[in-house]
Amino acid sequence: MKMFSVAHKTVFVVDHCPYMAESSRQQVECDVLTKSRAQGVIPLAPVSKSLWTCAVECSMEYCRILYDVYPKDKLVNYIVSDSEFHILNSWRREDQSTHELMSALAAVGPPNPREDPECCSILHGLVAAVESLCKITELQHEKRTALMDTADRVANRGRIICLTNAKSDTHVRMLEDYIQETILEQNKLAAGSDRLMAIQQCDLVLVHIYPQGEDTLVSDRPKKEISPLLTSEVHSVRAGRHLATKLNILVQQHFDLASTTITNIPMKEEQHANTSANYDVELLHHRDAHLEFFKSGDLHMAGTSTRENGLKETVTLKWCTPRTNSIELHYCTGAYRISPTDVNSRPSSCLTNFLLNGRSVLLEQPRKSGSKVISHMLSSHGGEIFLHVLNSNRSTLEDPPSISEGCGGRVTDYRITDFGEFMRENRLTPVSESSHDPSGKLPVERAKAQLERHTRYWPMIISQTTIFNMQAVVPLANLIVKETLTEEDVLTCQKTVYNLVDMERKNDPLPISTVGSRGKGPKRDEQYRIMWNELETLVKTHAGATDRHQRVLDCIIACRSKPPEEEERKKRGRKREEREDRTEKNGSKEADDKSWQDSERLKGLLDKEDQESEVIKDSPDSPEPLNKKPRLTSEEVQPLERAKGPVSLLTMWSNRITAANSRKHQEFFGRASSVNNKFELYQHLKDENGYVQSAAKVSF
Amino acid sequence: MPTVVVMDVSLSMTRPVSLDGSEEFQRKNLAVHGLNMLFEHMASNYRLEFTALMAFSSLWELLVPFTRDYNALQEALSSLEDYDKTCVESALHGVSNVVQQEWGSACPCQVVLVTDGSLGIGKGSLRHSLQTLKQRGDDKKFPLPFPFPTKLFIMCIANAEELQMTDAMDNLEELLRLSGEDGQIFTMEGPLCMKSVQTMFGKLIDLAYSPFHAVLHCGNLSSDVQVFPRPEPVIMDEEVEPMPRTVSTDLEIVGFIEIADIASPPVISRHLVLPIAVNKDVDEVGTGATDELEEEPSASQMAGKSPNFCVLLHGSLKVEGMVALVQLGAEWFGMLYSQADSKKKSNLMMSLFEPGPEPLPWLGKISHLGPISEAADNPYGEDDSKSPFPVQPQVKRSYAQNVTVWIKASGLQTDVQKILRNARKLPDKTQTFYKELNRLRKAALAFGFWELLKGVADLLERECTMLPDSAHPDAAFQLSHAAQQLKLASTGDSQYAAFDHNIAPMHTDFSS
Repeated sequence: MKMFSVAHKTVFVVDHCPYMAESSRQQVECDVLTKSRAQGVIPLAPVSKSLWTCAVECSMEYCRILYDVYPKDKLVNYIVSDSEFHILNSWRREDQSTHELMSALAAVGPPNPREDPECCSILHGLVAAVESLCKITELQHEKRTALMDTADRVANRGRIICLTNAKSDTHVRMLEDYIQETILEQNKLAAGSDRLMAIQQCDLVLVHIYPQGEDTLVSDRPKKEISPLLTSEVHSVRAGRHLATKLNILVQQHFDLASTTITNIPMKEEQHANTSANYDVELLHHRDAHLEFFKSGDLHMAGTSTRENGLKETVTLKWCTPRTNSIELHYCTGAYRISPTDVNSRPSSCLTNFLLNGRSVLLEQPRKSGSKVISHMLSSHGGEIFLHVLNSNRSTLEDPPSISEGCGGRVTDYRITDFGEFMRENRLTPVSESSHDPSGKLPVERAKAQLERHTRYWPMIISQTTIFNMQAVVPLANLIVKETLTEEDVLTCQKTVYNLVDMERKNDPLPISTVGSRGKGPKRDEQYRIMWNELETLVKTHAGATDRHQRVLDCIIACRSKPPEEEERKKRGRKREEREDRTEKNGSKEADDKSWQDSERLKGLLDKEDQESEVIKDSPDSPEPLNKKPRLTSEEVQPLERAKGPVSLLTMWSNRITAANSRKHQEFFGRASSVNNKFELYQHLKDENGYVQSAAKVSF
Repeated sequence: MPTVVVMDVSLSMTRPVSLDGSEEFQRKNLAVHGLNMLFEHMASNYRLEFTALMAFSSLWELLVPFTRDYNALQEALSSLEDYDKTCVESALHGVSNVVQQEWGSACPCQVVLVTDGSLGIGKGSLRHSLQTLKQRGDDKKFPLPFPFPTKLFIMCIANAEELQMTDAMDNLEELLRLSGEDGQIFTMEGPLCMKSVQTMFGKLIDLAYSPFHAVLHCGNLSSDVQVFPRPEPVIMDEEVEPMPRTVSTDLEIVGFIEIADIASPPVISRHLVLPIAVNKDVDEVGTGATDELEEEPSASQMAGKSPNFCVLLHGSLKVEGMVALVQLGAEWFGMLYSQADSKKKSNLMMSLFEPGPEPLPWLGKISHLGPISEAADNPYGEDDSKSPFPVQPQVKRSYAQNVTVWIKASGLQTDVQKILRNARKLPDKTQTFYKELNRLRKAALAFGFWELLKGVADLLERECTMLPDSAHPDAAFQLSHAAQQLKLASTGDSQYAAFDHNIAPMHTDFSS
């Protein structure tokens, strides 16, 4: 539906002339006596509604459904006509509620049967309706303002629903002509005004209401074009139940609604608490919720039934257990507000209360084949109930490559928990429109700005960071990302820094990552150097924000110990195992993270690497050359590797190859019957020659 | 968005292409060459697309059902046979059936119709189909428009001049119009040869099968990604905003929301977000990752080993049960979340909301979602026990506010009986009695149903006379007070019939 289709503006014009005070002659027995009290009591005579009461309650029902399904920008203007017109509300959004209208209707009261019928006419109301359609609505105004020079895209269309008691077909034609003329007149007026808009299309729906038991003087007529501006249709309906059905059908037609009946709703009986019966509840909603059925021509398969006068169809969906939980994210292709057809019947209110309490229900499409297809879900959000359409077709995205197979998929030490914490801190909340920010930025822009601040320095993997693995740094890390700092915040940050200084003096160990590197990793003072560098990097990215941020940086620079370079050099020269492995690791890091490349720490590492390669040759601690090590079989290597940390890809590969190869040949006799991996060669020489070849032992 | 390739295998496709001196081709050869090029492109750049191949003449046949196996598609192309005349209508019926059987009627689909523009003669020809459009019963409707959203690409193995000499071009344009005008007719430029057919299919590839690359940002963290399938431009209201909206190539995360709070929102489309390595061979790493061989060399392995923001984001979204709200353009948002395909495989997915200021009523206006740090108290509570969502609407819906509807007699009877039931339990039920009484009074006044007010007043007076001796004296006072007030209201006297006025219980004091 277009934003400014005829459905944007609906004017109700209800006849308030003396003849509307006539009885509809449909009687309601409101004194229903219970059996026990029936004796000796004369029941109250049944009451009957007037034509006016029928018209008002049916039009209110139309509005109730409309406001339930479209709470915004499908507007109603209610006009009552007798010797003059009474406009009961305006197009303004705050005036759009049944409560407003009921209150205004109460003030009008029923028609006065003693008023002079000659002065009363529906025409007063119809003229007012046309004038009202020319008035600009808030949405029209907003859009025209927003579109600037293409403001003419905002159309002005509307519908007039006239509930009256017409005298004859000629009378109806007279009304149509009158409206046509009024539109032309008003459009001329509108052309010269900013607050008025010319009517581009007006649909007149004239409903002739007559009492039960009488013959109608007006004939039904389908929609026809009176002029390019005006179409008109006539419905001749008996007051009471028929009128209600008619307006229910009209509201569905006018606002693209469709009906769904939920069947098999289990409900506890009032009298028998331990039994439950199944009920049906009919709901109205936008017809797109049935789009799939309409398109596939599946309507009948989906359990449609045509009822009453053949105009109204409903799709049946079955209540489905088990229910769904709220933490499941369904693939939902549409969600449409609902309105129960029979809002205060017991089954309806049971269902709506159940949903309003926060529970959701899956709905199943009845199929002949017996296969269960869940096609919809009922769920409430903030006191509004929605019919969600769930996708029940095959997905075109099935069998996608797993995230672990793509870029970054093989990295295993992501800071998942930390990022989870980050996400919690960057959750969103509705900010009231009135709270104005001095920066003039919308809340959503401020949310993005916060994300920017929080991510200025955010290493993605554990082995890339020291400070974020340290509890001691947390207070500072949480505060420094703030837009502004208080004096107290600065103090907390400084305390954190002093605390770190203290730790360094006490030579407390740091959680430096040793992943991949065997042995002890960098020496303690080197660890602190790395930590301080990283902390400085973090704070530097925020130092420009305010003077207080700068003071935190100043504090770090002042406090951190920077031993002279020479001393540093002397302290290097630690033995390293698996040197190649490490170099390769740093190399790959360098490639993937540019920001990291800039960081001090990496430079430090690389420097160190260079220095080490010089130092290591003449170091007394350097490891024995590999070839001097006793050769080990794979069985022995594996546990050793495991103890030292994760197995490298190379090891895994070689193990696999070895295992594969070993299957291809017969095991050497010697290796197979060795003791402690040792086997004595030339054993029978001893027997034959009488002397021992002691040197000829072989190790595996 | 799945693709159906519909290939014309009528005799006219075997017409030779006249080329001076060089090797002689049939139009069919050119078509097959073009399609091979398309399939090769898809195999390396658009591999997750499901494609089916259908051949048609006067009958149609599904040669390859929907698959991602592009070898199978190319193989089928190489073994096409030649049949009789062209009948587009029956082929389109075939497309409609095949697509709906596989994907239902909601899934958007691309149809690539390859023909030489000689569209049959007599009954069954496209001309005949279009001429008889309006004279058909419901059972023989023309298959267009398809029930599912369609992009129709017509690849003519002919040049425009040739098509314009007959009414072929007009008929094809009419076909495109019937299908909903989403799509394009491609013709060959210059002489019919391998080169010009390549140019033509190249244009199709650029238009519909080039991968959508974007950068996903979360503040300073970012990742290059491919969004699959390509997000389509959206028109919200052709009158007010006729320009289609397109998804920006910068996807900016705005913040995070719990899954329970976002509550299965309606989305217009879903897309995989696949991290890609830039400045490397994109084809190899991005979409091609599906069946990467174990021992494939370094490029992809390197990419796998370097940390990527998408993987981090995905992991945390999955663990925390949250979604990331992502801005796709002006007043257009979507959400990123972890979607598990099976127990082992899960993925980063992006769903697009409807463009506009308030796509999900329960979140309020999206531009008015701000950081929690701005709130005085954490709206989620210190222990995550609360949530600022859902946003409550200003006015309650009818089903949430105990409205009065008397359209059915039973509604009115129930309301009257409620009053009487409470009347018999006075004074214990004084509050409920007046509450129900006032509800009925309000509705009767609004509906101008004064007769009912008199009737209920009479009923209350009758109840008063029938009170048992054991009844509390207050009961009689309240009943006659209520009856009197209703009678006064039924006169319409503005002093007593004001809508907002409530009948208050009579003040009595029996304690002393």
